[in-house]
Parts: sequence; C-alpha cells; structure tokens
Amino acid sequence: MMTSMEMAQFPILTAILMSTIVGMLVILFIPGDRTRLIKQVSLSFAGLGLVLCLWLYYAYDVQKGGLQFVERYLWVESLGIYYFNAVDGINLPMLLLTSIVLFTGVWTMWDLELRVKEFFALTYLLVAGVYGVFMSMDLFWIFVWYDVSLFPMYPLIAIWGGTRKEYGAMKLTLYLLAGSALILPGILYLWAQGGGHTFDLFELQAMGFSPLVQKVAFIMLYLGFGILAAAWPFHTWSPVGHVAAPTAVSMIHAGVLMKLGAYGILRLGMTLCPEGLAYWADLMALLATIGIVYGAFVGLAQTDLKYVIGYSSVSHMGMVGLGLSTMTVNGINGAVFQMFAHGVMTALFFSAVGYIYDRTHTKMIPDLGGLSKTMPVASSFFIVAAFAGIGVPCMASFWAELLVFISAVKTYPVRGIFALLGLVVSALFMLRVVQKTFYGERNERWAHIPDVPLFLATPRIILVGVIIFFGLFPKLMLDVIQSAVVPFVSSL
Amino acid sequence: MMKWVLFVPELFYVSMALVFFLFSLRKKVEQKLLYNTAVILGAVGLVVTVAFARQHGMLFFDAYRVDLFSQVFKVFLALGTFWVIFACSELRGVNPRQHSEFFMLISICTLGMMMLVSSAELLTIYISIELSSYALYLLVPMRRISGDLYVETGIKYFMIGVTASAFMIFGISFIFGVTKSTYVADIARVLPTVISEPAAIIGLILTLCGFFFKQALFPFHSWAPDVYQGAANQVTTYIATASKMAAAAMVIRFVGFSGGESSLLVQLLITLSILSMTFGNLVAIIQKDLKRLLAYSSIAHAGYMLIGILCLSERGFSSAVYYAMAYLVMNFAVFLVIIMVAEDGRNLQIKELAGLHKRSPILALTLMLGLFGLAGIPPTVGFTGKFLVFAAALEKGYLLLVIIGMINATISLYYYLIVIKAAYLLEPVNPYPPVRVDGRSRAMSMVLIVAMVYLGLFPDRFVALTEAAARSLP
Repeated sequence: MMTSMEMAQFPILTAILMSTIVGMLVILFIPGDRTRLIKQVSLSFAGLGLVLCLWLYYAYDVQKGGLQFVERYLWVESLGIYYFNAVDGINLPMLLLTSIVLFTGVWTMWDLELRVKEFFALTYLLVAGVYGVFMSMDLFWIFVWYDVSLFPMYPLIAIWGGTRKEYGAMKLTLYLLAGSALILPGILYLWAQGGGHTFDLFELQAMGFSPLVQKVAFIMLYLGFGILAAAWPFHTWSPVGHVAAPTAVSMIHAGVLMKLGAYGILRLGMTLCPEGLAYWADLMALLATIGIVYGAFVGLAQTDLKYVIGYSSVSHMGMVGLGLSTMTVNGINGAVFQMFAHGVMTALFFSAVGYIYDRTHTKMIPDLGGLSKTMPVASSFFIVAAFAGIGVPCMASFWAELLVFISAVKTYPVRGIFALLGLVVSALFMLRVVQKTFYGERNERWAHIPDVPLFLATPRIILVGVIIFFGLFPKLMLDVIQSAVVPFVSSL
Repeated sequence: MMKWVLFVPELFYVSMALVFFLFSLRKKVEQKLLYNTAVILGAVGLVVTVAFARQHGMLFFDAYRVDLFSQVFKVFLALGTFWVIFACSELRGVNPRQHSEFFMLISICTLGMMMLVSSAELLTIYISIELSSYALYLLVPMRRISGDLYVETGIKYFMIGVTASAFMIFGISFIFGVTKSTYVADIARVLPTVISEPAAIIGLILTLCGFFFKQALFPFHSWAPDVYQGAANQVTTYIATASKMAAAAMVIRFVGFSGGESSLLVQLLITLSILSMTFGNLVAIIQKDLKRLLAYSSIAHAGYMLIGILCLSERGFSSAVYYAMAYLVMNFAVFLVIIMVAEDGRNLQIKELAGLHKRSPILALTLMLGLFGLAGIPPTVGFTGKFLVFAAALEKGYLLLVIIGMINATISLYYYLIVIKAAYLLEPVNPYPPVRVDGRSRAMSMVLIVAMVYLGLFPDRFVALTEAAARSLP
C-alpha cells in the first residue's frame, strides 16, 4: 500500500497533534500568575500548528490525490487498533480550518484575566481532540479524540461563560455525550460485523457490510454525529451553548467543533455504509432542509446577537447536511467547502461580537445601534461575516452554497427550493441585524468606546482575508476537495 | 515440598496479620511506628505477589488452583490493600486503641480474598468468602467520630451478609445434589449436560447471589449505600476497591465454568446488568453525600462489569478483568481525595468540595480524572475498560444492551459533573482551610494520574495480560 520511503518521512501529522499536546503541558508548567507569558506561549504553539498545516496544505499532491503523509502503527494488537493518521482532500481543509481558528481564537482572548492558565490548557486539550479526529483513520482513535474534544467544553463554558453558563454548559455536554452514546455502539457494531480484528477505516470499508448492517449502523452514526452537527431537531444545545460560551470557545466550537459532526457523518457513516446512506438520504435531506428553513426563521426573531449567529449556524450546517445527502460530486464538494467557509465565517462572527460584548457588556440588538459610527472597524468585521453568511459573491461561502444548491435542486427539487427560500429568509435576518446594530441612530451610550486596536484587529483581519481569498480563488480549495470526493462518489 | 511456592503470597499475609496481632497485645503502640510497619509490609506484600504472579499449579487435593487469572487478581488485591494502608497515615475515623486490630483485620481480609480467587472447590470458596466477610463485619463498626458509635451500620451489614451467605450455601447444596461433586472442575464437566434442569439453574443462581451481594449488584445492593456512608473512610475505600476485585473474580470464574450457554442464565444476567446500571445511576443523581453517591455508582459499575462477563467469551472475561483493574485505579483515586479532604474522618458532602482547585490543585485534578474515568471519558482508563466490555458484548451481538449501557454512561456523567463542578467552579460559602497534602500523598496522586492516563492510552500490554489471564480459566 505504501512504500517504505513514505513511511520514513517526517511525521508531520503527529507533529501537528503534538503542537497542541506539548503546548498544553508547557502551559501547565508555567506558574499561573505569569499570564502574559502563558498567552505568548499559547500563541506561539498555535502559530506553529498554523505553519505546519499551511505547509501540509501546500505539500499535498493534488494530482496524485488519495491518502498522503500516512503514519500507521499497530496500537492494540488483540483488537486491531492502529495509530493511523493520514490526510486526503476531505480532512486537509478541515485541518487548515482548525489551525486558523485556533490561532485567531487564542489571539482574540488576549485580554483574558480570569484563570488564564486553565483556560488555555483546556483550549489546547479541546483542539488536540479536534486535530485528532480530523487526521485519524482508525475508528477507535476517531472516537477517543472526539470525546477528548467534547468534555473540555464543560469547564470552558461553565467557568468563563456568560449568559446562563452553567445551564448551557451542562446541556451542551450531556447532549453531545448522548450523541457519543450512539456513535460508540455504531463503531463497535461495524467492528464486530467486520470480524472483530480491525478498526482501520479502509480495511473495514473494503469488507463491504450487508445492507441491513449498513442501515442500522448508518442511522446510529448519523444521529450521533448529527447532534454535534446541530442537525434539526437535535440542535437545541447549540444556540444555548454558543450564547453561554466565551468568545474563543464560541469560535472554536461553532467554527470547528460542529464540523466534527458533519465530518463524522461523511468519514464514518458515508464511507462505511454507502447503502445505509442511500436508504436514509431522504430523511437526511428532509431534516437538513427543515434545519435551513427553521434556523432562518427562528434567527429572524432573536434579539441577542449571539443567538442570531447560533441559529444562522443551524441554518448553515443544514446546508452541509443537504449537500452530503445529495450523494453527488458537486453536493459533497459544496458541503466540505461549506464546512470550511462556515468555520471561518462563524469564527469571524463570534470574534466580532466578542469585541463588542467585551466593551459594551451587552449583545442585545435593541441596546446597540449605530455602532458603525463609534467603532467602524469592529463593525466592518461583523458586516463582512454577515455578507459571507448570506453568500455574497467573492466570499468563500458563495461557492460552497452555490454548489450545494445546484445539486440539491437537481436531486431533491422540492426540498431544494424550500432550502433556497430559507436562504432568502436568512439573508433577510442578517441584513436586519446589520441594519439595527450598526446603522441607524447613533447610541450615545457607546460613544466613548474606542475602536479595535490594531493588535486585536489582526486576528479578525486574518479571518476576513481567508474568506475573501478563497472567495476569489475557490479553485485552490475545490481542487483539493475534489481529489478526494470524485473517487469517493464513484465508489458509492 | 516445592508446591508451597504457590502459596507464598497467602502465607505472607498470614504472617502480616500475626505481626499486627502481636502489636495489638501491647498496651500502647506508637501510631507512627504502626503506620510505617503497615506501609512497608503492604509494599513487600505487593512485591511478593507480583514476584509469584507467574506460578501455576494445584494445591490441597486440587481444591486450590493457582493460575494466571488468580495471580492477576491477587496482584490487584495486594495493590488495593497497599493503597488503602498507604492512605491510613492519620486514621482519624477509627478508635485509636484499635489501630493494630484495624491493620490485622485488613491483612486477614486480604488473605481471605486471595484464597477466594484461587479456590476451585465449593466449600473452600465458602470458607474463604466467610473469612474475608467476618473481617469486614468487624472493620465496619470500628468507626468513631467524636464519640459517636456506628454499630448500626455494622449490624445491618452483618445481617444482610449472613443472609446472602445462607443463600449461597443453599445454592451450593443444590449444585452438589445435581453434580455429585464440590470440585469446580468436575462440576464444569457435568453441569453443561444438566444446565437445563431447574435444580441446576437454581443452585447456580443462588450461589451467584452470594457473589452478587459482595459485588453489590442490584437487587443485592441494599447494604452498599449504608455501609459506604457508615464505615470509616479508609474502610469504605477498602470495600470499594479490594473487596470488589475478589467479588468480580469469583463471578467471572463461576459464570465461566457454567460452560454451556444456558440462554436462561444469560437472559437473567442481562436483566440484572440493565437493572443494576439503571438503578444505580438514577439513584446516584439525587445524592448529597459523596460516599453515598459512590456507593450507587458502584452498583452501576457492577452492572457494566457484568456485561463483559455475560458474554461468556474469552474476550468478555478479559474485558471484565480489565474493567476491574480500571475500576480499582479510578475508585481509589476518588477515595484518596475523600480521605485527604475529610481530615478528621467525617463524611464528605459534595458541597464541601467547593473551591478544591484552589485549596489543592493536585487533589482536584486527581478527583476530576478519577470521576471522568468512572464516567468513561477518554483518554482515561475507565473509557478503555468500557470500550473493551462493549466491544466484547457487540461481538456477541448485544447491540441493544450496549446502547442501554452507553445511555447509562451519559446519565452517570451528569452526577459526576456535579461533583467536578463543586471542585472546580463553586466558591466556598465559608472559606475552608487549604488541604494539607504531604509529599507522600502528592506522589501517590501523581502516580494515580499518570496510571489513569497511561492505562487509557497505552492499553496494549495490559489487554494482552488480561487475555492471557482469561485463557487460563478452567
């Protein structure tokens, strides 16, 4: 399968993973009162991860496609667990997304004062889990990293959170772990049906399960991961959790963690149970469409900025689900691209709101108003994110949504049109929020607040840059995604 | 003569009990001397048990079987005993005049349980189980806090315990009646042919009742919350860790040798497992006392362990052994924190943990990892244990059972999170003093933290060991 030369190369994926774990350990050994040093160390480890991921993205050979940078060692012999990391066109954009969001997220938390050391250590643990899920090709490790990425959310929200933080934290944790209560049996079921001697994703895929097994396993994996992807009607934890979480955690959570759910459906459910997917695709498309429309309408009624973003996330993640359920090259391309685009976009959203909230101590839309006159730069970040959310051309999400809707209307005409209507409503509520918050009467209460200093603006500028860069050059991303999706769809 | 080599660990604990017997004859014993002797002897006992772990053979007219399975459990028992003794440096909850007796009874109880895991004959099993039980019956009412007596708990434990023993000996008589033998090896040969007879099933189930009682499986659990709450913290730790090991070992051996897959037996075990998990977890939610909460969680964990056992496969038994080991480590970690925080030996309410992360970061971390382990969150050893157990169950096709188990794990996470929340989030109403953690306990906490994560992430060698142990079962 792979030559010895490929095995002998520098284990860059392990290095990326270790950049977070070592980062966490280093932070743990710094005395807690040296907050500045902790932040500097955090940012350098995040930067290291970003550099490694950028290099990985650059070094990935699109022409060759397939699995690259493979690291595979036997881990637990009697069960057939492998330490198996590799990248292909689907997880490569996800790794890049994770490193971007981590880097900018750490940077936006520069003003943090409360229990700094624990915050960054837990954040690094969370991101270690995210990296791990995205790069592992072994079911055992995917599940381990998945859970590792979930449980730090509880302290992160409950300690540093805002509105109803303890309720939000508990609800989120229990919902997501209830999801893993379905994922683990699903994984073990496939393992047992495959003879009980390997957790290697591709060995299992080659076995080809019977249709009944695929149907049972797919629905378990879909529901389990669907909770994290905020698929309607399992989304209720998501807006509550987002609202309760501190800025960087919202960014990482909405930007990256929710993608784990969609990624899990794609990587485990769809890869291992194509016939199960075919059987359940109808339901998946239906739930996704309801999610798009419902998220948009509920978002329309919100007065809390973070709730608005939370519901728009439900709507946007519905598009990912819709794209996946079409089972076409364009649809899945669009879904993966949307995962990336939405990740960067929500990170920008939350970081923009984070700054406004830190200074004004409110995120209620009626209390704000006319902010673009007092803090034009801070406002512009939110407005760019809102445009990206609507899917304005030149933004990365435009291409993603275009691809999803083209294939959705073709495969599911009625649902596709309803979903398009949902998009129109979401455009309406985004513009309404922008208008009420940033334009109109200038609110004198906030007149004294300074605009974002350059240092704090930098991470947001990076996010804006990423959105526009991939909006102008979508080919750079689509070629990568396509290199994995085309063989994947032809194998369905 | 060489055969006595097989019996060395047991002989060691006999002599250890004798040493403390001699101590107890003296009028006044220096507390520090007693403790140091106990720790050293406990450590030597652990080393001796590990050194003789590779022995195998039969003793006492084949009534006593030494194999890898029994030796692995003896190592767990010696480890648990050592840890419990280690945590006894203050021993505030126990009457100072009875400290020598306390250590003597712990040694005798360990001896009884070591004999139990090796017994291959029904009457030997019965005698060993009684030897360990009587030591515990005496240990439980030893508690003294500011003059209060805890005899009630002791009597309750004793009454329920002897009832369970009566059931067990009644069951043994049935088995003897059906198979005409008290030797497990003979019974294992005969039993599969008669397993469909009601008398055999009744005998087997009644005998298992005795072990289920020790393991606190629903509906034989009623003693656990009261005893956990009423006994001194160190004694509770011993009951919750070492004593659980012996019970688990016996259930594995006993279910294992029933051999032929009686669907009635399997269905009964599935029912017990589901009831035990669900009952334990649901009742634990409303507890305010940490030890009581852990008692209910132990009922739930007995249910998880039973999932592995009822698979009746080699992988199932080995996963149950691994789970037992995981449970030993995690549970001890949590109890160590209880003993350290409740310095005067009182019972600990959950809210008393408030602000623990400031009062002692290392204990808070130990507690958090221990509880996450009990909830089955990776990368802790508790997750790997659950993973192995569920994997074994799915190999047998018990999909629904595994889903119920996972839902239960989610429920359990709720109350473990409440405890973690108390330690990390709540600010104490009255400022509690910082917890004194001496260097020894700090080192022990470190060892436990590393062990919990290491066993969770690198289980390969230990899984291989438990599989070898399961293979050595008759």
